[in-house]
Parts: sequence; structure tokens; C-alpha cells
Amino acid sequence: MEAVFRINGKEKTFSFDSDATLLAVLRDSGYTEIKEGCREGACGACVVLLDGLLINSCQVFAASAAGKEIITVRGLGDVHSPHPVQSAFVDSGAVQCGYCTPGMVLAAYSLLQKNPDPDDSEIKRALDGNLCRCTGYVKIVEAVRLAAGRMQGNG
Amino acid sequence: MREIRWYYPENLKQLPDLLKREGVIPHGGGTGILRGSLNHIEGLIDLGNLQLRYVRYRNGKIEVGAGTTYADLIEHLSGTDPDHILVKALKAAASTPLRNRITVGGSAAFFPVWSDLMGPLLALDAEVTLTGEKGGSYSLSDYTKNGELRKMSLITSVQWKNKSWTSFYHRESRTKVDYPVFSISILLKVRKDTIEDIKIIIVGTARRFTQCLQIEESLKSLTLDQARIEGIGSKLDVQFTGRRNFSAEYLKHCVGIQLERGLKAILRS
Amino acid sequence: MAEYIHVGKSVTKIDSLGLAAGMEKFTDDFPTEDTLHCAILYSPHAHADIMDLDTKAALEMEGVVDVLHFKNVSRVLHTTAGQGYPEPSPYDTVLFDRKVRFIGDRIALVAAESREIAVEALKKISVEYKVLEPLFDIEKAMNPSAPRIHGDEEHVEIPVAYRPEVNLAAEVEIAFGDLEEGFSEADFTEEHTYTMQAASHCAIEPHAALAFFDARGRLVIITTTQVPFHVRRIVSRVLDIPLHSIRVIKPRIGGGFGGKQEVILEPLVALVAWRNKRASRIVLSRREVFVSSRTRHAMRIRLKTGAREDGSITALEMDALMNAGAYGTHALTVLSNTGSKVLPLFNKIDHLTFTGKSVYTNLPIGGAYRGYGATQGYFAFNQQIDMIARRAGQDLLEYCKRWHIQEGETSDVFRALGEGKKGVSQTIKSCRLSECIDRGAAAIDWYEKRGKQLKSGNDRVKGMGLAIAMQGSGIPQVDMASASMKMNDDGSFNLLIGATDIGTGSDTILAQIAAEVLCIPMEKIIVLSSDTDTTPFDTGAYASSTTYISGSAVEKCARNIKARIITAASQILGLEEEDLSLDMEKVTAPKSGQQVTYEQIALSTLYSRDQLQIQAQASYVSQESPPPFIAQFAEVDVDEKTGRIYVVKFISAVDCGQPINPVLVEGQVEGAVVNGISYALWEDYIYNSSGKMLNPRFWDYKIYTALDLPEMKTIVVGSFEETHPFGAKSVAEIAINGPAPAIANAVYDAVGVRMFDTPFTPEKVWRKMRS
Repeated sequence: MEAVFRINGKEKTFSFDSDATLLAVLRDSGYTEIKEGCREGACGACVVLLDGLLINSCQVFAASAAGKEIITVRGLGDVHSPHPVQSAFVDSGAVQCGYCTPGMVLAAYSLLQKNPDPDDSEIKRALDGNLCRCTGYVKIVEAVRLAAGRMQGNG
Repeated sequence: MREIRWYYPENLKQLPDLLKREGVIPHGGGTGILRGSLNHIEGLIDLGNLQLRYVRYRNGKIEVGAGTTYADLIEHLSGTDPDHILVKALKAAASTPLRNRITVGGSAAFFPVWSDLMGPLLALDAEVTLTGEKGGSYSLSDYTKNGELRKMSLITSVQWKNKSWTSFYHRESRTKVDYPVFSISILLKVRKDTIEDIKIIIVGTARRFTQCLQIEESLKSLTLDQARIEGIGSKLDVQFTGRRNFSAEYLKHCVGIQLERGLKAILRS
Repeated sequence: MAEYIHVGKSVTKIDSLGLAAGMEKFTDDFPTEDTLHCAILYSPHAHADIMDLDTKAALEMEGVVDVLHFKNVSRVLHTTAGQGYPEPSPYDTVLFDRKVRFIGDRIALVAAESREIAVEALKKISVEYKVLEPLFDIEKAMNPSAPRIHGDEEHVEIPVAYRPEVNLAAEVEIAFGDLEEGFSEADFTEEHTYTMQAASHCAIEPHAALAFFDARGRLVIITTTQVPFHVRRIVSRVLDIPLHSIRVIKPRIGGGFGGKQEVILEPLVALVAWRNKRASRIVLSRREVFVSSRTRHAMRIRLKTGAREDGSITALEMDALMNAGAYGTHALTVLSNTGSKVLPLFNKIDHLTFTGKSVYTNLPIGGAYRGYGATQGYFAFNQQIDMIARRAGQDLLEYCKRWHIQEGETSDVFRALGEGKKGVSQTIKSCRLSECIDRGAAAIDWYEKRGKQLKSGNDRVKGMGLAIAMQGSGIPQVDMASASMKMNDDGSFNLLIGATDIGTGSDTILAQIAAEVLCIPMEKIIVLSSDTDTTPFDTGAYASSTTYISGSAVEKCARNIKARIITAASQILGLEEEDLSLDMEKVTAPKSGQQVTYEQIALSTLYSRDQLQIQAQASYVSQESPPPFIAQFAEVDVDEKTGRIYVVKFISAVDCGQPINPVLVEGQVEGAVVNGISYALWEDYIYNSSGKMLNPRFWDYKIYTALDLPEMKTIVVGSFEETHPFGAKSVAEIAINGPAPAIANAVYDAVGVRMFDTPFTPEKVWRKMRS
């Protein structure tokens, strides 16, 4: 089947099998910044924003995302003009292997959109769908705190 | 590579016909279908265009559209009643990205092991409204026990009386993001220091859920000073099936401890 | 200590922005053309002979191109352990065998036009089995009448003790003094058995590999590996493809922790590509990673100590029984490490034996895992010293400080126990463990809370526990690393290293070291690592070796470059070399005030006179393996009624020498600690009675999320290790050793029960408290 997604601000037509997940369709189309870690909605490596909401793309049929707006981590910024959340992850040492990072960055971004000044427990709650085995999460939580401060102009 | 037929109905009237088709099931956006095998599925009905994502107040009831996600409901109730039992329960359910997808209707229909929705809804005496073959309203408790009601029918909304309760919710799990091995939902109404009404639901027992009617009865119309909680847990008559990391014996012991703690906490507050 | 411009600074990781922006590429992110997708058929039986196998129906499916199995793939015995050659692991593995040895063992592989077709075709392969008696218990497996799991056929001579006739993949034994005499001197003995379970590394990136041909017909393998050079060697040998025809590239790696120190998928994709002359690709599912990659070895340790009334230990007897699982990869060396990384810590025990057996069973395969056997050994050791100090009425902290190995001291164990051979004698040159203990204790208010059983709401009782540990820094006289550098027109440098950054940040710290020696800004070092065609050899990312060994190679290489720069500058300036020194991006003559910039030197040497490329290379092998030290403190609350353990606070104070990059040091410690806590409390391989793993998914194999964290603190206690040019030691593994014993000791402090078996589920603690 075929569907149009608006992805990172651009409308694109995708063709895919009727039982394909959004994750598979996007990765096959070159959006490799979306990572696959478990295919069961448990690790968060594949999260994207779908109509503004953080979701596991491995748990969504591409067919049910037709016509929707998708944002990946590359839609937030790139190495030339990174988003403050991306910079905060870099500056806090929150990136080790980096495989969970696109998902973590999107989870943090999604939190800060709704709650610009979260406390630590709100930050941890917002990251509860994203597994990381390298950092022990300490510096990731710091990074979200730093990003929040910077985005409010305090940093 | 399985060819699945997708249907995108625009209104509820189109549903009954679709629901009658062999191997065609509704898909509200949750994750239950993708977790299972797709082998028996011929078609999926995308419920996204049916305007089932709402929370409204009608005739003294809160009515929640079946397409409402956990995140929607948390956000809505936090605004009006931040201590609502569903806020406590659903905040702890699954994970942030899954709460953005899991729907109230899907959870009520599937009653999956990871659900933190059912205990509170059962305690609230919620009803479900169905469309399709078995159209109409049923108590959620009956719905969970009667498999016939699920056939060729779809939950379109869940509703319960909008009363103000004091609440307690406890979930026992391994790590924080995990299926609850059991959960305890308690609702309490006190008038002039007297227990006017109390509801206790334990989800995860051998019969999926248990309402602690005896304890409820024994506490009703007592004053807060009269209520004796000590020992209630060890006398609790519930059965468990052993689960990974937890034997039946341990679960029975543990649910008793947590129930006493919950009752003490809620009576204190 | 010297003033450094880069060393000791928390420079941001050079790949971190690209990773945060989703631009860096991991193995499965590389596109390949006209690709065959692979799927593997796994054994449903724990132990069986394959009587026959029929692939006809699968091959007839549209889109199926090739099916590999024991009938059409040559039988080359090898080990999948990514270790130096010859690997000290038994050669007990072939790509496809006539026998299956665990539920999840490989039977066949389908290569097809799409992954979906390949998976579908697996169902069409029919296999006829003769089911054999499976062995899950290590004691039963050693019984001479037990069925044999390996070695019924030919085997390759390898330099390790290997007795397949009694299902032993490896054995170790060392002894000093006279145990009997030692125990007779003791006033009291403690003898206990400790067990630790298998665990999954849970790198978030699953194992993946792809192979394709370049325009010259050479085979390029991109793979999730910690050991690209070992991959090239082993693939060449197993498939009989000339080594010069193979190029292995390690891109970004999504975590390793030992799980990718294994050559599992590379020979498969290489073989599919080689037979079909097409690109091929495989990505494991999470289930496959759990069941069919590698695990931490489950281990049972019996530890007996004799001590005098004052707590001094007169004799120690440690016996380790390791469950190797179905194949013996790392079976000897993990076992050896249980002794060699643990026993030297208390080096004043005259009478000591360490014996160990690594036993084949029909369970998933053990392998390298952060901590590498030391984790299991320290679990036993730290509880035992907690007991001895308590019985002797000694303050635990003072007791540890009194007896741990000190600077200037050695241990016979270093010499006796190595990696598949005798060890290497060494004297400790840097050890700040006592300071680690003091600083950690202060940070956690040890004396205010230890032994006080402080109570809080809902029946919670507080307990405090300590664990201390050492590890190593690479494998002495075995691991080799090398580096090469060249100077560019603008005075920047390419740094080419075999060292394998698997997310640890080694590309960054090696650049810091080079930039330090050459006195240039970080951005003037352009790092390229881990490509067997373009970078020099390195044994790879394991044994906590990169900072120490690869770091020394880079320093040596940069010093060679520096010498050439000085030579060039002396010619340009007409001054003696000894009158010149480096300043930021230039060479200066302090006496005359003359100077020449790197750019001028580069342009001159490249284009103007006596043209040459300023370049250098260096290799490094270490003669010793200086241990880092750590003291880890757990504050836990135990629910007296349910047995649930709440880890409230966890403090680690580590002596890793001079930290090259303190933030990366903290990151290593924090990651290891959280992994260690979640292993101590929940992570587990749960099998049914047929040996099938029941929980191969993150929903059912619980690792910690951010929500589960205790309050954590890492204290970096600086020291200077004189055998490293910048005083550094390793830090990657050590911090995973402390959580389980520190928590166990804290639980005892709180509620008086000893937890001898991980994981400490609430029910286990509750049952102990009840009995």
C-alpha cells in the first residue's frame, strides 16, 4: 500500500506492505537515525514523534500512520545547528555508545515541550520508556536538566 | 508479507458490518495486536477517524471514549482531580511512549497483564458501551466475565459515576517499568469520621481480579477510630497462581501486607 | 602532578554530537545493494543428534537463494572467542554441526531476497532429530557416566586443559603454602557457597553483520564487534578465504560489555556473500541475542577461610564451578580471572588454593562479560571478609585498609595465574584503595548508619554494605596495540588506531593523548579507528585494555612524530634540536625566541625542501597489568515484611590512576554500577525443565530504567601509575564487581540474613528472614 507522511517537515510518499511497522518502513527508506533494539516496544530506541506524541515506531503499523506528521531526531537539529537538547546531551557526557541517544533526545524534547521546568522525578518518568545500558542514566538526567535550563534562558 | 486489508471507517454506523467479517478486528492504536501473531488477522479496522478520543461529563458520569489513550486520560484528570485513582494508576502503567498509544477501550477489551487500568475502573463500578452485535451498556465486571460480549462488538466508551473518592493504588512489580504482578485499588468515602463506602479490588489473582467484599462490609459504617486493620491481610481470602520470580504463597503473603498498608494509609489521610 | 592541556580534562566525546543528531552510522545503518537477508534456524532441543535435514521445500520458495547447514558447509573446528592467537579457548565449535547442544543452537541459515521470506522459509526446513539426554546441572555433567556434550569426534590441539570426556571445557589449579597447616592456625573458619546466575549484556544494539564486495572483488565485512582484527583472522581461517581478501570495518557500536567479543555472525554473512557473490546481511532479534549470543557465566563458588581472632586470614580455599553452557568460549580465561583478579587483593595469605572447573551443559553459551569472572569471585570474597571482620570484632573499613595489597607489594597469584598460561609477576606501583575507602565512607555517612538498623515508614530497615575490588589493565605480554600518525598541510594530524571504540569514548581519549603530546587543540587530531585495511593492528576492546595499552601506543607514536617535527624545525630554523621545544601548534627556541608553526613545518616538509611526509607508527605491549581499585558502598532499606530491597544510595570511589577524561570515567562507573545493581536484584535467565529460556525479552528480563535509580555518586580518586605515560589505569570493568556484594552486606547489616545467591528477589529475602 501507499501513504503520505509528513516527515521532518517534508511530505513524502511511502509504499509498504500492509502489515509493516512504521519502524521498518522508515528505516528501509533511509531514516536510519531511528534505531531498532527489541521490536516489542520495550527499549525506546525506535521512538519518533507521531503527530507530536512520543511513540515506539515498532509498535505502530505504517498503515495507521497515514497522513500524519513524523519527527525524528534529525528533524530537531544536525551537527551544524544542533537543538539545545542535543547539545546538552553532548555537554553533559550523556552520550556513550549513542544507540539509545536519538530516542532519549526525543523523549527529553517531548517532555520539555509539555513541561519546560521538570524536576528530577518528572525527568526520570519521561525517560521510563528508553533503555540505556552504558550510562546508568545519571548523565542523561543531568542533560535533560541542563537542556531545560538553557531553553528557558538560564544556562 | 501477509496481506492485511485495512478499513478506515468514518463513523460508527459502518462498524457493525465490518465487525462481522471473518478475521477482521478493530485496531485502536494500542500495542496488543503487534505483540501477538498476525497470522489469524485478515483485516484491521483503523478506529482513528471515529472521534472516540474524548473525555466528557454527562448525567453525573465521566464518559471516556474508547480511543482515549492513557496519556490523554492522565492529562485530563490531572487537571480536574489530580488525586484521582486513575491518575495514580495510569502514571505507573507501561512507559511514556506506550501510554501515548495504549487506549482505554483496547485495555478494557483485552485486559492484558500489564494493565493498570482495570483495578481502578472496576473499583469505580465502570460500565462499557458497545456497538455492534451486542450493542448496549454493560457493567465492566460483567463484560470481563462474559466472552460472548466481545464477539463482533466494539467498546466505544467507558463511563462511571463522577463521585469524589479518596483513593489508594499500589502495584507490585519487579522493576518500575514492568507488568504489575498484582495491584490493589481502594476507594473510600468518609462522612463525619464514618466510613460510608469503600471499594477494594485486587487485580492479578487467580481469577484475574477479586473484589474484597467481606472486608468492605466489615469496614462500612465504622468510624475511623473503630476500624481495625491489623490482621486483615493475613485473613484475606484470595488465591494466586505462581508467577516468574514470585510463588503463589509469597504473592498471597505480600498482597496481605500491602493491603493493610493501603488501608492504613487511606484511613489516615 | 604535571600540568596537562588535554589529559584530565572532560573533553566532549568526539562522536557525541553526530550520535545525538542521529547522523553517525551503526552496522545496520549502512545501505548495501542487491542484498541477501539471512535468518537462522535454531534447535528446539537441548541435546540431540541431527539424523537428517531436508531443505528442498525451503529452496523452492520464491525468493530463497541459499540454505546453509552441516551438509554443505565445511567443518572447521574453531572457537568464537575473539581472543589473541592462539585463542586460549577450546576449539569446540563448527559453523553447522550434526549435533545440537542447547535450545537456541544453530541448525541452518536461509539467505533470501527479504528478511520476511528468509524467516518464512525457516519453517519449511524439516529436521529429524535423535533426542539425547540433556545436562543442565554442572555437578551431574561432570559425572563420568554422563553423556558427552563435546569431543566425540576429532579435536584440535589447543594450549588449554580440556577434558571433553567428563564435559570439562577448562580447569585451573594453583596452590601456595599448606592449606591444612593454614587452617590449623585458624581460630575460626567460614565456609560458604555462593552462586551467581547467567545474565545478558543487553547492549541496546543487537548483534548485526553485513558483507559485500568492493569493486576489486574483496570482501568487506561491517560488523558489531569489539575485535575487528580477530574477526578477520577467524573468518579467514574458518571459511578458508585468504585473509588479504577480507576487510573488516567496525562502525559505531551500540554497546558491547563483552557480548561482542565473539565471532558469531561474521563467518555466516561472509560465507553467504562468498558463495553467492552478493551482499548479505543479518540482524539478530532481541530474543536471538538473549538465547543464542552469549551470557555471563553462571558460577558456583565455594569459599573457605580460616582466620585468627584478630581477623588475619591464615588460609583460603576457593573452588569455582563455572557453567560454560554449550560451548567453551572464554571458558578458561573467565574462570582464571575469578582467581587472578580477586585473590591478590588480600596478598598476605600464606596458605591458599584456587581450583576451578568450567563445565559444559546444554544451556546457552557463556562468554566474556564486563568483570569477566572477577564479578563472581568478588561476590563471594566481599561477603566473606564482612563475616570475618564481624566475627573478629574489627571495624570493616579498618580491616580492609589493613589487609589489602599496598604499593610496593606483590602477590604470588599474579605470577601463577595468567590467561591460558602462567601469569606475569608484578609489583603494585599505584594503589589508593585506602583513600577510596575513606572518601566513600565519608560520602555515605558510613559510621552514622552502619550497624544502626535505622527504621523508616512501612517497616523499612536500613543497612550499609561495602565491597572492594581490583581488576587489571589489559593482558600483560599478550595484548598489543598500535597506532600510526601523519601530518597534514595545516599542521593537523590523522591518528589511525586499531583500538575499538564500542561506545566507551576511546577514540576521544586516544585523541586527547595524542593532542597532549603534540601540544595541539583536539580538533587538529582526526581519528580513524578499527578498519583492518587502513588502521594498524590492535587486539581490540576487552580486558580493560584500551586506555592503558592502546593509550601507551598512541603516546609512543605521538612522541615519534614529535621527534620528527623537532628535526624538521631544527633544519628550518638552523638550530640544534635540544634547543627546541613544543608550544601550542608550534616549535619554539626559548633562548632565541625564534619559532616555526606546525603549518609552516608541514608546508615546508611536504612541498619545499627535502620533501617527506612527517609520519610515525608505534606498537605497545605491556609487561604488566596494573590494577585499578575501587571501594563501593551501598545504603539499602529492606522491607522487613516483604523482603524487598530498596537501594537508596550507591557510592563508588575509584582509583583508576590519572583519569584521562573524568566525565568518561564517571560514565564507565555509573553504567557498570547500574548494570551491577540490576543484575544483583532482578536480571536472570529463567529456564523450563527442557532448558528453554522463558524470558528472552525486555518485558520479562528486567534491566533498570531511569526510574529505578538510587542516588549515585562517583568519586574519582586520582593516583599516578608510573608504567603509563600519563599515569592512567583502566576503569571499564571494575565497577560492576561491587554492587552485588555491597548490597548483600548491606542486607545483612539491616536484617541479619546472608544472601548467597543472586538475584536477591524479594521472595528470596523474605524466605531467608522467615527461616
